[in-house]
Amino acid sequence: MSTLNARPLAVRTEEVCKTYPQDPNPVQAVRGVSLEIESGDFVAMAGPSGSGKTTMLNLLGGLTRPTSGRIWIGGDEITDMPDPALARLRLERIGFVFQAYNLLPVLSALENAEFTLLLRGVPSAERHRKVRELFEQMGMDGLEDRFPGKLSGGQQQRVAVARAVVGEPALVLADEPTANLDSVASAALLDVMERLNREHGTTFVFSTHDPRVMERARRLITLVDGEISEDVLRNRVPA
Amino acid sequence: MLKLAARSVGRNAQRSALTAAAMVIGLALLIFSRSLAEGAHEQWITSAIRIGSGHVAIQAPEYLESGKLEHRIGAVGHERALRAVESVSGDQVLAHTPRLSVDGLASSAASALPIRIEGVDPEQERAFSDLDEKVEDGRYLEPGDRLHAYVGVELARRLGLKVGTRFVLTAQSAAGDVEGQLVRVVGIFRTSIPEMDQGLIHIPIETAREWLGTPDAVTTVAVLLATSRDTDRVVSELRDALAGASDLRVLGWRQAAPELDSALRMDDYGDYVFHSILFAIVALAILNAVMMSVLGRRREFGLLQALGLTGAQTGWVVFGEGLFLTAVSGVVGMVLGFLFTWGFFRNGLDFSGLAESESAWASAGGMVDPVIVPIFHSSQVLLSLYFILIIGTLASIYPAMRASKLDVAEAMKFDR
Repeated sequence: MSTLNARPLAVRTEEVCKTYPQDPNPVQAVRGVSLEIESGDFVAMAGPSGSGKTTMLNLLGGLTRPTSGRIWIGGDEITDMPDPALARLRLERIGFVFQAYNLLPVLSALENAEFTLLLRGVPSAERHRKVRELFEQMGMDGLEDRFPGKLSGGQQQRVAVARAVVGEPALVLADEPTANLDSVASAALLDVMERLNREHGTTFVFSTHDPRVMERARRLITLVDGEISEDVLRNRVPA
Repeated sequence: MLKLAARSVGRNAQRSALTAAAMVIGLALLIFSRSLAEGAHEQWITSAIRIGSGHVAIQAPEYLESGKLEHRIGAVGHERALRAVESVSGDQVLAHTPRLSVDGLASSAASALPIRIEGVDPEQERAFSDLDEKVEDGRYLEPGDRLHAYVGVELARRLGLKVGTRFVLTAQSAAGDVEGQLVRVVGIFRTSIPEMDQGLIHIPIETAREWLGTPDAVTTVAVLLATSRDTDRVVSELRDALAGASDLRVLGWRQAAPELDSALRMDDYGDYVFHSILFAIVALAILNAVMMSVLGRRREFGLLQALGLTGAQTGWVVFGEGLFLTAVSGVVGMVLGFLFTWGFFRNGLDFSGLAESESAWASAGGMVDPVIVPIFHSSQVLLSLYFILIIGTLASIYPAMRASKLDVAEAMKFDR
């Protein structure tokens, strides 16, 4: 367990376990993970397939409940939070970027990116302004009206990142965001996320196999068999 | 949410088209078969009541059960009944005719057969019944005819009658005596209804009155309406108008012709079974299509919930899709059903090739024209539309519930 008290905590877990019932032997995906992640951090969770990275992201995002242990997001415990409240928390304070098939195919790039703002009831003009600004920063201007099927993998992931950060959530959880991208698209995506992290102070937590992502992370947590085997601070910038 | 639902319907064009096709075809078929059944029923009713006792019959209270001459309407009652008929509001009454009917015997040198003798006013009967159009030989009765008879073709054959031949009618008179009357065949008709062709005779009402000793009497005032749907209203009006007349009884055709009513109810029952099967097929098709769409889009719904939609909101999206699809398909199906039926069959659908003989089209006291003209009733078309909408709505509930109870992490197919 690593404890960093310089900044407020974005995430905290305490002895979190997740077991999936499965015959004949239940699968213990996460085993007693205790973790604290500071606000504004840029954290990569690495580890081999089946090490529990994605399950950890699911747990942090409230997409699945822990079998035991406790989880806090920005000071609010989500362990037993009712589903509607959890959905609200995801909407307002957490952004997700998934590995693939990240966008709603029936919505345009702009509509995908503004989706969470729409759910929050943000007026149309403000939604469009924010998305267009982000698209401009991400080199996506001009692609607002394209549907996902007409965008490259890298462009789709950038739209997904735009959607994840446009509502200025405290935490962005990204599951292998560069897994399906070539090196150029990966680098561009990481540039975007790093800049958003730097300029907006958004906390990013990735799960990844990708050494390029690990290299950029300021903290690298390695999971093996559902347990933290290594937790390394690197590339730190002063608080 | 609505936009998302509508776009999903549009994007999954193949699935949506399949579901929509099931609903459109189902509804179009429903409208077609309903309007055809309605047309057939109306034809059936009209045919039967024209020869029978009309859409509405005014009789003496006991006549329906007894069928006897002693239960007849006298001159005062007849006059009162006519005034009541003429007072019916609107233009629903097309015609009315007096009849003096009695059961009797027709005898010739060849044979004797039991028959139904109807004394009619030739002029009024022409406007009311289409029996005058069924002439096989000779002519129908005319005003001024006295000792003339219009007989069915089968009766003529059995009694060896021809136009101009004389034969004897025998029946119990009002006084209770058996009285005979010699009449001459003026015309022979063929309806293809064996019971009619063999057992019905029209004679002038004045002849019948004189012969049976019932001056100015009638047994039935038969009323013909523009459509059978007006029967209840007209019956109600006539009952109100004749409220004080204890010697008169107003009957709708369902009461006056219970065998026709039964036949139609049987036919209706068959229609209900057919339509229930049709509805069930449409409902299953919709349920299947919406279910497939949910099962095939678990990741999409998982994503919606990961982004902050609640399970209930996700369920509403799926429900909205089903509803949207149902509404659009319902309206398209209704329009297509109407256009198809009206476009191709507004002049009638000819079923004559389906029966080997003309008599196959005779049923329940009526002669059904093998060319059936569909009849549209907006209430029935709307009812069909409501049914489809209800089925679509119900069929969308289960998939919506499935989507709302989705395990998000499972749906997103994360690595473990």
